[in-house]
Amino acid sequence: MEQKDKLKLLKEILLTEDRVFAQSITKKIEALNSVLNTKDQLSKKVDPIIKDNLDDFVKEIPKTLGPTITKTLKEEIKNSQDAVVEALYPIMGKMIKKYIQNEMKMLSERINKQLQSSFSIKSWKRKFKSKVSGVSEEDIIMSDLIKPEIEQIFIIDKDSGILSGNYSKKETIDKDLISGMLTAIKSFVEDAFSAGNQDLESIEYELYNIHIQNFHFYYIAVVISGAYNQTYKNNLENKLLDFSEHITKDHVEEKDLSTELEKYFKNE
Amino acid sequence: MSSPKKIVLLGHFGVGKTSLMKRFIDDTFSEDYKVTLGVQIQKKVVELKNTKKVSLIIWDVEGNTTVKNARLSYLLGSNGFIYVFDATRIDTFIDINEEIEFLKENYPKAKIKVIGNKLDLVSKQSLIDILALKEIDYDCLSSAKTGENVNKMFRDLAQDLQS
Repeated sequence: MEQKDKLKLLKEILLTEDRVFAQSITKKIEALNSVLNTKDQLSKKVDPIIKDNLDDFVKEIPKTLGPTITKTLKEEIKNSQDAVVEALYPIMGKMIKKYIQNEMKMLSERINKQLQSSFSIKSWKRKFKSKVSGVSEEDIIMSDLIKPEIEQIFIIDKDSGILSGNYSKKETIDKDLISGMLTAIKSFVEDAFSAGNQDLESIEYELYNIHIQNFHFYYIAVVISGAYNQTYKNNLENKLLDFSEHITKDHVEEKDLSTELEKYFKNE
Repeated sequence: MSSPKKIVLLGHFGVGKTSLMKRFIDDTFSEDYKVTLGVQIQKKVVELKNTKKVSLIIWDVEGNTTVKNARLSYLLGSNGFIYVFDATRIDTFIDINEEIEFLKENYPKAKIKVIGNKLDLVSKQSLIDILALKEIDYDCLSSAKTGENVNKMFRDLAQDLQS
């Protein structure tokens, strides 16, 4: 073999592997080029990554941007109160107007209903009451419509908070839990503002009042809807005192007083 | 069903009173610790061995290093107490005998159960040895996390309240 051939053979032996490797690299680069430069192929690869990142971003917004947005909104509202009022006023105004209109409509329907039953005994009684008292019939109707009504009554052991009797016009959540929580609230308030032996006497919440009458071993909680006024309170106190005359400590500890309560307060 | 019975859970902060109540009422457990402020009240009806039913009103009061510091109005009229200690913290049970004495003196009619909670975090035998060494009286060891002995302890107390 000549020197020239030997050199060629040696080159082939040494460089074949590199050439194959270089060819494979070239192919890969071409494939990559094709992916990068072809929109469809590129989007297949990149879209899932972008989607995942976007999902994460959306999830993180409340944590990362939430406080900033809230702060900015607060500042913006504070700095441009007039603009905010201007924007909200028509919406709020319409809502309030609609609510009042609806309430007035319902009230007027109820008054009409009362007036229409002009031949009923109730109506004659009302007319008579109006003549005697000098209060107009419309005013008497109005006061009847917002008349306080007993919704629920609970007789509760003062120490343990255990329910001894209950009367309710509607289904309520667990009565045992209500009496327990009422007792806990009562104990807390009485301890927190301890000024001698004073008792919590009422709790108000929106359309209801809870009248609490304390006795030696127990207390009675009455949930009242409507216009709970001083006259009604006095009458209720008297009625509860009358009722309590039949109740002893043993009754509270051992007897279910629900039937007695229902008999006594069903028509209130 | 007999008249409801009031049970109060007592013990130091973080011993697992609320977890025991949740395990008993809803059969749930959470690792998150939220300190109880004031009181939480729950109810469960339990059927006794003689098929009689009793309604347990459970008052889970905020933790205190001693019963004397607890809001005493929450304890009034209790039919039973469950004094809970943390098996991993000796400070929650070192004075337990005195605490129980205080309860017995002041609430003589109430039944009392002493329970060591967080059994899942300690070796049962070594805990029993420590409790014996310190001469601490207890009724059972439990874990609100695994549920071990939780129902049994409440049911035993309900049974005691009927006898």
